[in-house]
Amino acid sequence: MKYAFFPGCSIHTTAREYGISCDAVSRVLGIELIEIPDWNCCGAMDAVYAYNPFLSISMSARNLALAESMKLDIVTLCSACFFTLSRAKKLLNEDSELKGKVGNLLNDAELKYTGDVKVRHYIDVLLNDVGLEDISKNVKVKLDGLKVAPYYGCMLVRPPNIVNFDDPEHPNSMDKVIEAIGGKNVDYMYKTRCCGASLGLTEGEVMMEMTKDLLLEARNVSADCVAVPCPLCHLNMDAKQKTIESALDLKIDMPVVFFTQLMGLAFGISPKELGLNKNCVSTDKLVKRFHG
Amino acid sequence: MKPSRCHVITSQMLDKTFLADIMKMRGGQNILDCIQCGVCAGSCHAAWAMDFTPMQIIRMIHLGMKETILSSATIWICASCYTCTTRCPRGIDIPLIMSALKHTAIKEKFPAKIEIKPKFHQSFAEIVLKYGRIHEPELFLKITRKNNLHEIMQNAKLGLTLLRKGKLKLKAPKVNKKTQWSAIFEKVSKEAAA
Repeated sequence: MKYAFFPGCSIHTTAREYGISCDAVSRVLGIELIEIPDWNCCGAMDAVYAYNPFLSISMSARNLALAESMKLDIVTLCSACFFTLSRAKKLLNEDSELKGKVGNLLNDAELKYTGDVKVRHYIDVLLNDVGLEDISKNVKVKLDGLKVAPYYGCMLVRPPNIVNFDDPEHPNSMDKVIEAIGGKNVDYMYKTRCCGASLGLTEGEVMMEMTKDLLLEARNVSADCVAVPCPLCHLNMDAKQKTIESALDLKIDMPVVFFTQLMGLAFGISPKELGLNKNCVSTDKLVKRFHG
Repeated sequence: MKPSRCHVITSQMLDKTFLADIMKMRGGQNILDCIQCGVCAGSCHAAWAMDFTPMQIIRMIHLGMKETILSSATIWICASCYTCTTRCPRGIDIPLIMSALKHTAIKEKFPAKIEIKPKFHQSFAEIVLKYGRIHEPELFLKITRKNNLHEIMQNAKLGLTLLRKGKLKLKAPKVNKKTQWSAIFEKVSKEAAA
């Protein structure tokens, strides 16, 4: 199982534990992720698009073309990259004038984009290429009794006509992975409610209100942790949790982990190799429970 | 409390070409299909922080209320979460329309209700143009409101936490000179500046 891996900016920086744990888990499952050489920012959803739509689409297109030259499917970890690349692919397929214009740009860099490349999320690979059975087979420490709130956020499942993955209102792909490693998904009604995303960078107070709801609801349903597939959701829910607590005078104390970190724990991989010391809200309790 | 009439529309508020302009932009093509059902407004997770709901914005585009829209908070508060579009019975790409509105406001240098937002988009684009990837410390520095000590302290604290965890790189991403990726995008950025 070989893929053109598109890490996106945050996997090497603010979401390092996602990248590290994904590497460790992939090694166990025989998933070969070959990082696209010299990839660039995906086009960053609305951040670049609102400034210059053509720039955002061409940035995506360059990555798509690079992956095409590797003759492999693109796999991303970041939900926002997944959406941005998928959107660019759709827009380019539907608009031949745009495709021509972008094509000319890419020609100058000796790149070619035909539109053949598939854009996929890592969870898709886990479910459809690896399979739940193989995931279960590799479990050494069943996460028995661990109550997980599976939080999907937005861009992994929405909008269905662009990302075309899982159910946009009641997704369960990550639930299945968590079940396969022995965890128990709690009934969490805010699975796909927006965390505030990049509002956290400019409108902190709006983001805090939105993210706070997600975390408190995880508390309400007695989750031991929240599992996420998106670096930006993670930044808001984990790195900014202390800020939210002090700004809104709340006690939340809810560990927020990437689902790959939970998989790694179940596979018996050391917490350090999973970057569990990099989460901002302490994961000690979690680690102690399943790693002597 | 005396009821107030907040949004009285006058002919001076209407721009005759605005609807056509938006319909020419990506996302705007089918904006007239809107039946004002309100599903977008009811679904929006950020509507509480907006001055107009997404449904209102769509109707205001129909009417040509350019100035009111471009000076609203709504266009900058939309986080593109796509809950509205997922549920829209008419298949309207509301976040993409919001992006088109943001783009118009930035291009026409419209004074934004949330004044840092145009700078956020511009800085983000400039940084990725420079390095090919985002460089968080630079973005933080550019978009932290200098007149807001509270925000400066909050961002500094977050920066330090991330730094301690090895999750923030002060050094900018290395540009690969050989592949000259930025040369490809130079043309595009010039077009943006024009």
